[in-house]
Amino acid sequence: MISFSQVTKRYPGGHEALNSVTLVIEQGELVFLTGHSGAGKSTLLKLIAAIERPTSGVVSVSGQNISRLSRRAVPYLRRNIGLVFQDHKLLFDRSVIENVVLPLDIAGFDRREALKRARAVIDKVGLLNREKANPVSLSGGEQQRLCIARALVSRPALLLADEPTGNLDAGYAADIMAMFRDFHQVGTTLVIATHDDRALNALGGRILHLDHGKVGEVTA
Amino acid sequence: MIGWLRHQKHALTSALRRLARQPVSTLLTALAMGVAISLPSGLYLGLDNLSRLAGELPAQPEISVFLDPAASGADKQAIATRLKRPDIAQARFVPKDDALAALSVSQDLADISAGLAENPLPDAWVVQPRTRSREALARVADELGKLPGVAETHLDSQWAERLQAALTIGHTGVWLLAGLFAIALVAISGNAIRAQVLARRDEIQVSRLIGATDRYIRRPFLYLGALQGLLGGLAAGGVLAAAGTLLRPQVERLAGLYGSAFHLAPPSTSEIAVVLGLTTLFGWLGAWLSVTRTLHQVEATR
Ligand SMILES: Nc1ncnc2c1ncn2[C@@H]1O[C@H](COP(=O)(O)OP(=O)(O)OP(=O)(O)O)[C@@H](O)[C@H]1O
Ligand SMILES: [Mg+2]
Repeated sequence: MISFSQVTKRYPGGHEALNSVTLVIEQGELVFLTGHSGAGKSTLLKLIAAIERPTSGVVSVSGQNISRLSRRAVPYLRRNIGLVFQDHKLLFDRSVIENVVLPLDIAGFDRREALKRARAVIDKVGLLNREKANPVSLSGGEQQRLCIARALVSRPALLLADEPTGNLDAGYAADIMAMFRDFHQVGTTLVIATHDDRALNALGGRILHLDHGKVGEVTA
Repeated sequence: MIGWLRHQKHALTSALRRLARQPVSTLLTALAMGVAISLPSGLYLGLDNLSRLAGELPAQPEISVFLDPAASGADKQAIATRLKRPDIAQARFVPKDDALAALSVSQDLADISAGLAENPLPDAWVVQPRTRSREALARVADELGKLPGVAETHLDSQWAERLQAALTIGHTGVWLLAGLFAIALVAISGNAIRAQVLARRDEIQVSRLIGATDRYIRRPFLYLGALQGLLGGLAAGGVLAAAGTLLRPQVERLAGLYGSAFHLAPPSTSEIAVVLGLTTLFGWLGAWLSVTRTLHQVEATR
């Protein structure tokens, strides 16, 4: 489903975030990305979602070469990807439920159906009683769960999560991981960047370790 | 198709909500547009009324019919009969001797006329047709000119031609002004939309990250521009209606002093529709230009 071949990413300014990374992630796999801060975890996820383009090498997702993807094709690639951002990227000019409905609006869903789905997923992350609240009023952990809800609402085939349990206490972290496991079991491909060992231990799965932009496999 | 309709509806409601959420800036923009639009439309209305007035002027257009010196008695009789028909209000025969006498008196040419062996002036009719319209006058003059025994006709319609020339300039001016103010409209709309795009920078960036197409992002702004243009057109209507209410009694009083029943005519429904359609179109156009430009900037500052 995802393959990196000799991928190097150099940011403007010359910093090399990824150095000649080669890897393959199969459909339906659950993969953890670990590594120190600044190792290049977020960068790797951004390359998969075509948020960044590789400096050299080939990134391919579902058989599409990301570097050659036209501007017009990028939105359709992203609609099949659920993104949990490290910095959440919530919209503070609208309620919790409107944040979650946004991906469905973009995909052209019927409004009633969209609201129904959104409510179901908000319930799953435990925010149903805050449905009408503004995200500003949510705690860090609640904002994180909201971001996860928005990533899951369109039932994507591929979920990319950047530190999804970073701000969560053990209880919620376990709940979220359990949700991820459910998605994994119905065939969703998951790539999760984390330094949360609890998560690694809870779910098993494959672990890719990044160190200064170089990737190495860790067998648990 | 259904998805497309849903997107349109979604964009329209989002645009309406945004307009309602900022009533003051919406109103100010509409007012700026309204003033800009009311200038050319007001001028257009003014000219329209002036043209009507020109048609109603109580001037007395005359046609001079000069007879051929060689015209036979039968021809002259036929001409006199023709001039008794109902489309002629009044016809006065001016024999050539009277004409010469009048000329001598009025132009002080007695010496010269006395020296003439023969009167060079033709017999003539001075005719007042019943119609006042320029075309009809020209038609009557033409018809009279073709009668046997008539040498020449002269339609005294200088005032009408001058007015017509002035009105033509006025109309060209209206179109020039309309073009300039259309550009102003596009600029006002573009500016308002640019502010909106920048204010919604976060939403645009997040939407892009979760799969929004350019069209999806652009659409609510285009609706916003079009609605803003429509509001501007309505505001112009308000400005003109206010001006009309203010001017109407004064104009009618002035017309009354000249013994005319002239009154200011409001624009027709189709004229109003055209103006609203155009302002909507230009609002949309301004939004389109502005969104396209501003989105590139927003993109660059990701
Ligand atoms: N937009 C950018 N411009 C320049 N340098 C960047 C940019 N984004 C990331 N970097 C650099 O690239 C390197 C890798 O960053 P990345 O965000 O991928 O790390 P990470 O593994 O996600 O770290 P963390 O665990 O702190 O989130 C870092 O040194 C970072 O400073
Ligand atoms: Mg990161």
